Amino acid sequence: MNLDWLDAFLIFGAFKVVEIMGLGLLVHLQLGLTRVANFGVVGFWGVGLYAFGVAHLKVDWPFGDPYQFLVCAAIATLLAAVAGLVVGWLISDLDDDGTLVGTLGFATIVVILATTQQGLTGGALGLGGLGFPYDFGRVKTHEFTWLLITAALVALIFAYAWRVYRTPHGRLLIAVGANEALARSLGKSATAARLRMMAVTSGAMGLLGAMHGVMVRSLEINSLDVSVTLAALAALILGGTARVFGAVVGVLLTVALFDIVIQFYLPIPDGWNTQALPVAREAVFGAVIVLVLIFRPQGLLGQMRRPALMRRLHGDW
Amino acid sequence: MQSVPETVAPPGGREGWSKLGRRPVWAVSVAIGVVVVVLAALFDFWATTFVVGATENAPLVLAAFGFALLYRLTGLLNVAYAETITLGAYFAVWMNNSWGLGFYVVLLPAGLLAGVLSVVTYLAIFRFAKGRRVGNLEMIVISFGLSIFLQHALQFVFGYRRRAFDIPPPNTIEVFGVGVSSFRLLALASVAALTTIVYQFIQRTSYGLQIRALASNEGLAQASGVRPLRVTILIWFVAGLCGGLAGVFYGAGASVESFLGIDELLLILLVVLVGGIWGLLGVVVVGMATGVALTGITLEYGNSLYAELVLVVAFLGVLKFRGRRLTDGSKV
Repeated sequence: MNLDWLDAFLIFGAFKVVEIMGLGLLVHLQLGLTRVANFGVVGFWGVGLYAFGVAHLKVDWPFGDPYQFLVCAAIATLLAAVAGLVVGWLISDLDDDGTLVGTLGFATIVVILATTQQGLTGGALGLGGLGFPYDFGRVKTHEFTWLLITAALVALIFAYAWRVYRTPHGRLLIAVGANEALARSLGKSATAARLRMMAVTSGAMGLLGAMHGVMVRSLEINSLDVSVTLAALAALILGGTARVFGAVVGVLLTVALFDIVIQFYLPIPDGWNTQALPVAREAVFGAVIVLVLIFRPQGLLGQMRRPALMRRLHGDW
Repeated sequence: MQSVPETVAPPGGREGWSKLGRRPVWAVSVAIGVVVVVLAALFDFWATTFVVGATENAPLVLAAFGFALLYRLTGLLNVAYAETITLGAYFAVWMNNSWGLGFYVVLLPAGLLAGVLSVVTYLAIFRFAKGRRVGNLEMIVISFGLSIFLQHALQFVFGYRRRAFDIPPPNTIEVFGVGVSSFRLLALASVAALTTIVYQFIQRTSYGLQIRALASNEGLAQASGVRPLRVTILIWFVAGLCGGLAGVFYGAGASVESFLGIDELLLILLVVLVGGIWGLLGVVVVGMATGVALTGITLEYGNSLYAELVLVVAFLGVLKFRGRRLTDGSKV
């Protein structure tokens, strides 16, 4: 495959867009449907990244890639899902304030463990040696292929998010998010529904972390940064927390704008890419959250489409 | 102005301000204090742990006290409070570096400026959002966004690099045989002074009564003649002052950068949520105990991150055990 026309940095920029889109879709399921404000997205993503990296580099597997990748990615997904269950249980009877502290605390624990367990994770120095589970020859081809695989995974997450509205589980999640007391009074188990949702979405966040590890080929403690949570949250809020397309539209208007359009196509002065632009990016994302929630809380795409869907399924009421 | 009913904050209520003055809380605090002094006098390790823990982490108590004021009285879990701490430190280091003013000279102006900016964020963001009927969850997310915005925008104002105070090395004073810098002792004294002043202010003055009335029942307080805007501004200012002063002490102990406040926020939140169920005094006691525990574990295992890990896990355990009662109990 001749990819000379494609800039290697552009591939990485597109990978970030796809990755944050996936995280945004998962945050949509948590925040938009169930009203669980997860401020520790980076924690679940980090569990996947580090579990995958440690399993890949520190365990002497009797088989090579691609099976090694598949097993390690499964371990990463499973561990992140278990973490989601634990955090979900922790915050199950807490209000929004407790949820903030619980999820933030979990993310902090992940960062501390990744920093202090140097023998496993490399600590602050990090750990190199991860690679793609295939060998076509050129690095650029590998990266482009990985971008396509990750895009396919995010498309699956999108399909799940789209589909969940039409399932009994999705309708229960919406009911729990809208009025938990009422859902409970009707005999529905709000806790079980939330735990299931947390396990599924956290596991998927962990899998995205594993995909990130392969793309960057190393474990770096700096990657466990609040910017991961921020980008997913800002994009979703801008697009609309209650809409599946909210994350897609939001990521295109935030991450894609900064990490592709401004970074590669605007004539910005030398040196800005390393310091001023990343700082401005985060400041703008923060401002976007504030301004959108004050002036257009439902985001650009507006309210949930569920009423229209319900009308189509059950007729007018 | 009409008089405010004295019955706002029932003494026996779980959520009452008057819990601050209840004898058991004071008695437990005094008992803990006596045990601490006896242990510190008898054993070297405990002396080091208590003295260093109490003085090194005095800014944590001060910051938690300010945050608790805001949280208990407005019910808002304001993540952007972290930037009030950062701004206090930035203002102080800026005055110190630019004009050559000493640490003790810049301390109060920096705290006051942080208080003013705290009020500005309330008026420009939170009051405006409340007026547009933004929900509680959205308010928390707004404060998160504001925090992120300020963390990064401040780098364009004060520069990307870390800044340090240009001050002579502080005097060292021996307490129970442990050397402590004069800055640290001043921080501890500030915590004691500010908590006493604010407590007395809330309990004994007419403004304090208005604050309690407003927090207990806004509608009834307004009907009784309390002007909510003036009182709310006062709360935000005092909270900002505490945060700003804490920031100056944090900055003097290390260096100043835009993530100074947010790095401390989780512990502050946990101290406020757990300590808040016993009122403001509970916040001070739990904050102090947290500081001592941080130092003790760090001295024992040689890594402050382990200490933070243990404490975060322990606090989250309490959070789970107490459930919704904890966060509800931390508010008025």
